[in-house]
Amino acid sequence: MHLKSYLNLYALLQNNVSTREERRAFGLENDTLKNKPIKQLLAWENKYIHHLKKPLLSEDVSSYLYMVTFSLAIIAFILGLLSGITLLSYNGHEPVNIVYFIAMVVFLPLFTMLLVLFSMLRAKNSQSVLVHLTPAYWMEKILKFFPSIDDKNIKKFKINPLLTNWIVIRRSQLIALFFSLGLLLALLGVVLTKDIAFAWSTTLHITPETFHGFLNALALPWRDTFPTAVPSIELIERSQYFRLGDKLSEEMISNASQLGQWWKFLALATLFYALLLRCVMYGLATLGYQYALKKSFFSLEGASLLLSNMNETMITTNATVAEHIVSSSHTDIQEIRQLKASYDFVQGWAIPISKLQVMNDTMKVSSPNIFEVGGSNTLSEDRAIAHKSFGEVLLYVKAWEPPTLDIIDYIEELVGVVDTVILYPIGIEDEMYHTKEKFIKIWIEKISMIDNLIDNNKKIWIKIP
Amino acid sequence: MKIHPRFAVVGHPNKGKSSIVSALALDDSVQISDTPGTTHKQRSFPLKVDGKVLYELIDTPGFQRARYVLEWLQKHAVSADKKHEVIQLFINEYEDNKRFNDEIELLKPIVDGAGIIYIVDASKPYGEEYEAEMEILRWTGQPSMALVNHIEETDYTLEWKRALGQYFKMVRTFNPMTANLEDHISILESMAQLKEEWIVPVKASIILFEQYHAQMLDKSCEVLGKLVYDALSHKEELSLKTEEVEDRDKEKIEEKYKEYLRKLEIKTQKKIEKIWKHEHLEKTQTLLTFEEIDLFSQEAASVFGLTRKELLITGATSGAIAGAGLDLLFLGHTLLLGGAIGGLVGGVGAYFGFDELSDIKVLGQKVGKRYLQMGPMKNRNFPYILLGRAMYHTSTIANRSHALRNTVELNTNNAFKEQWLDDDLRASLEKYHKLFRAGESLDTGILGEYKALLVKALKKINNN
Repeated sequence: MHLKSYLNLYALLQNNVSTREERRAFGLENDTLKNKPIKQLLAWENKYIHHLKKPLLSEDVSSYLYMVTFSLAIIAFILGLLSGITLLSYNGHEPVNIVYFIAMVVFLPLFTMLLVLFSMLRAKNSQSVLVHLTPAYWMEKILKFFPSIDDKNIKKFKINPLLTNWIVIRRSQLIALFFSLGLLLALLGVVLTKDIAFAWSTTLHITPETFHGFLNALALPWRDTFPTAVPSIELIERSQYFRLGDKLSEEMISNASQLGQWWKFLALATLFYALLLRCVMYGLATLGYQYALKKSFFSLEGASLLLSNMNETMITTNATVAEHIVSSSHTDIQEIRQLKASYDFVQGWAIPISKLQVMNDTMKVSSPNIFEVGGSNTLSEDRAIAHKSFGEVLLYVKAWEPPTLDIIDYIEELVGVVDTVILYPIGIEDEMYHTKEKFIKIWIEKISMIDNLIDNNKKIWIKIP
Repeated sequence: MKIHPRFAVVGHPNKGKSSIVSALALDDSVQISDTPGTTHKQRSFPLKVDGKVLYELIDTPGFQRARYVLEWLQKHAVSADKKHEVIQLFINEYEDNKRFNDEIELLKPIVDGAGIIYIVDASKPYGEEYEAEMEILRWTGQPSMALVNHIEETDYTLEWKRALGQYFKMVRTFNPMTANLEDHISILESMAQLKEEWIVPVKASIILFEQYHAQMLDKSCEVLGKLVYDALSHKEELSLKTEEVEDRDKEKIEEKYKEYLRKLEIKTQKKIEKIWKHEHLEKTQTLLTFEEIDLFSQEAASVFGLTRKELLITGATSGAIAGAGLDLLFLGHTLLLGGAIGGLVGGVGAYFGFDELSDIKVLGQKVGKRYLQMGPMKNRNFPYILLGRAMYHTSTIANRSHALRNTVELNTNNAFKEQWLDDDLRASLEKYHKLFRAGESLDTGILGEYKALLVKALKKINNN
């Protein structure tokens, strides 16, 4: 699992590569990875990586990060080297005060490591002040002003804040490591090339015994393995340096050869506190970075959808083909509101004669010829009724039953032989034959769409309430 | 011949065939029209699981010339075991004849082995004109059931059932407009009984349908969780051109901030509608019209969110829980002061934060680029308002039949809040809202826990 994989996955998800079906098919093909989401995401990424245009964003970002980290590491190494040389500079007149060097290789690393530990604990917070305080964070900001690093793609890309924090933390540890290496190299270099007289000096009233106890405690990690790298009480007594210089003349000069023995302690203090512990911090930062990277995979926009697409059973219920919409021509249908008192024929579509008579009474309509058509009639019976019809025909139809082509066939036949057909969509008996407007609309709409009636439309009227 | 069960939904025109198919196939794109004869071609709606068809619903045109077809069949009268062959003969003879297009379209899948689901509308009286249709279906010899639909309030079920009982071995009632998951499953169970070979695949479909429903619920809550997280953690920035921060700048960033949240809500609603396959939904949301009742208004706060009193209790409870943690840490040596102080601080903070949204800060003064920042959301009530609205929208969509084509009105009242938000849930949610407000990076585990709370709440609403 690398940052490159994360960035490639980000780019693939941004480009919305693969359909829902393809994702599910991939999930089924790689069934063994079902409960290993990271592996599943990586395998999917591997399959679709060729969809990404080159140069890959991951390559851009990685080379940018590498370049920035490398530059910062070199800078830190040089700074460490220069700091070491400065701290150990010896002019032959005054000895080198080891307290400065101890502060640089023991206390400064311990203090910064403590800060790093806090920032690790607060790394989840995107606005973590501690993370933003690290030199790595600010040095990178400064480096961005260099034109060669100004890449639009990188500027546009927003990395997960948790991951960003861990990248900064990890990188700051690497930089600190290089700084410490610089210090160690400076120490070894100066010890090799110069005969330095080390001393310790402080304004505070600290006895050599107390100082020995303190140094002994600092040397705890190596005092059993390298006893010569722990300064003895005699050495501490002999190398105590006073501003007024009275001791220098007697004690220090007579034991000048021993004053250089401090270097072993300083070298091991640097190795342990500045380098070894820093390596541990770097290891912790790497673990945190790996954890953040893993978390970031899941927090990528679309990653959880991709996983659910791969692992969840794909259920679809939609139609396989688009709906076929038919458009028709229209003609105007004439409307009447009042029925006449009598008609030559009264007919009812699928309405028995007994009911037709009740309807006629209700509507105050009379007719010498009342017939049921449609319903259980045969087609030939209907044809016979149509052919003997003439004049004005009042045709009751059930308003709630939509006009089928069966009734349209009959109307077509009827208008061929009669003068007028009054179509009366009638409501249900329980509602006193009251017709709802929506049913009238349906009838008008349907009748007006029948092509064969267009020529005879003057003969058709529809009764509206 | 296809091996999976197929069901042809047939009947008289305008009796709700397409509505039933729409509801059973969870497809709101099916054209449902008042004008009869809208459906001219059979349309298949397969239930596919990982590409494999478990069963297939077929929407068909309505009978148009049933009497003619029946007369033709009767002219070719044969013994009962050969009747289906006569139907095939009819199809062969009239396949290219436009006059019988609808009959051919509806009979073809049946002859190919589909079961018959015959739809009638029992809100209107029975008529003998239906008998020709039912007789034709009987000729096909295919397993069949009748579904009694109620398009309107009036009820003629009894007379319909008497007639249908003579033609179909099973008669069931199903209203596609009000059907919920239970009704849906109940109909599927009936469909399974039509033929012995169909029991296993249709029963498997039922289990999958339930899984599918749970999946949709889960996905919805994931989206809702993300909505609350994004809304609470969002930070709006506005570059400053002048030295002084003017009121205009503050108004501008506040409007931008609100606009972001409104858009986020709309985007989330679209996602929810897509999950529940209601992509063609038309809705009115009077509560989102900013002139009168706004997402940020007091009225919305009391309908969807918490009242000042509820907010005070929630703030105090969450503060007290944090304080109690300290008491526990010191084994009670704090004389339980941690809980008391935590409760007080939480309560007071919540009370005074009722009207505020977020601080507006001027940032970046030292690095040269000055800008205003608004967010993360400070208002303690806001997540409850947002979540209340989202829960209402989601539960409405989740329970809406795909057969409905009317415009949804997303209006609610205080009673809805009581349906899903109780003191326990409020206390649990507050813990996560606090995390979201802190703007910490998105943790899928935390969002998963939050989602689980929402799933529970949404199920509670659905059960109500």
